[in-house]
Amino acid sequence: MSIILDRPAVRIDVDGRAEPKTLLDLPALTLAEHRIGVIGANGSGKSTLLRLLNGLVLPTAGRVTVGGLDTGREVRAVRRRVGFVFTDPLSQLVMPTPREDVELSLRRLVRNGAERRARAEAVLDRFGLLGLADQSVYELSGGERQLAALAAVLAVEPEILVLDEPSTLLDLRNRELLRTTLAGLGQQVVLSTHDLEIAADMDRVLVIDAGTVVFDGAAPEAVACYRALCGMPARP
Amino acid sequence: MRGHGFLLAGYVPGRSMVHRAPLWAKFLLVLLCGVGSWLVSDWAVSAAALALLSAVFLASGAGIRRLATAVRPVLPILALVGAFQWWQLGGPTAARIVLNVLVCVVAASIVTATTPVRELLDGAASLARPLERFGADPERFALTIAIMVRSIPFIAGAFADVRDSARARGLERNPRALVLPVFITTVAFARQTGEALAARGLGDADAG
Repeated sequence: MSIILDRPAVRIDVDGRAEPKTLLDLPALTLAEHRIGVIGANGSGKSTLLRLLNGLVLPTAGRVTVGGLDTGREVRAVRRRVGFVFTDPLSQLVMPTPREDVELSLRRLVRNGAERRARAEAVLDRFGLLGLADQSVYELSGGERQLAALAAVLAVEPEILVLDEPSTLLDLRNRELLRTTLAGLGQQVVLSTHDLEIAADMDRVLVIDAGTVVFDGAAPEAVACYRALCGMPARP
Repeated sequence: MRGHGFLLAGYVPGRSMVHRAPLWAKFLLVLLCGVGSWLVSDWAVSAAALALLSAVFLASGAGIRRLATAVRPVLPILALVGAFQWWQLGGPTAARIVLNVLVCVVAASIVTATTPVRELLDGAASLARPLERFGADPERFALTIAIMVRSIPFIAGAFADVRDSARARGLERNPRALVLPVFITTVAFARQTGEALAARGLGDADAG
């Protein structure tokens, strides 16, 4: 399944300005690689780009399709195919415990209570969370929380996983846990990050600056481009 | 974000009789206590009911400390109400009113301490099911309650955070420095929660 961005742009009207402000103005892109990274400065438009992919933000010009489905008109079908993980797992985990949150994900899919419980346990077990299933989400470490959010999103088996700066709130150990977990996923992954080591794991990296793509290609060159953009010397 | 100290709905896992009692029976208990508090006129009956319910609570194995956590927040208000009623209507009436409120609190705590949130949601959803023919969506009804339960601790935690940062800047006496940031944090949390729910396809009308 591939994501096709057909020259989408996102503009918003700002009070006191005649011209709308452009948040994002992209060229035509086809995202088909297994692992895709998006890097760029704060406010460059990374989050807006990711939110285009599941219809959380709709383009004001152009269009975005996922496997042929339009993110505007067929948004529900798109969201079933595209799982989205936010930076802060606490804003994403709705229920008090990981078990209950995963079961919440499965409510519509599995009507039978016992069956739903079994499915949820299988998902939690896969992410090594079964022992923590009944703990309050507030008592989990940052990495465990992020894994719980990931488990809740992957429980409904989306075909594509989008992650918005998933490692920003994590310490080194938890970041490594996230990296190995992501590496083991069968899903296509699109993620934004400030972590250049995570970016280096990707098959293709887009560098975003001021709302547009300034580089598109292999990870090492993308990282070099981003460093130059930030006024940093190239790595010795 | 802290807020963990404020988490409500303290379910205590267990396999006691009370845990295994059907949810409707526990709901019925709360309902009876609520109605009963209007009908009972003798404070001794209220005291007996309170003793009985406390015994049921402790029989569930949830422990005396969990019971104390449930009752403690209402005590200051009950003390005020009790004192006022004593002055207005005399000792027996004041005792009856205070005991009746405690009966209701303990009955409600029996439900929350022995029922996982998931089962409460299933219960809420099935309660709303008869309204389905009028266009109500039981799943959405249950989800709303879940989010409410989850958001109260967040807002309490936001208040604690903002109070600390106001204090750090020497602004703790300025109500605007307290209320406005909590208000903004809460709206931001609501938007994030809404976005996360939309991204997970929760709260949509049944997609079939």
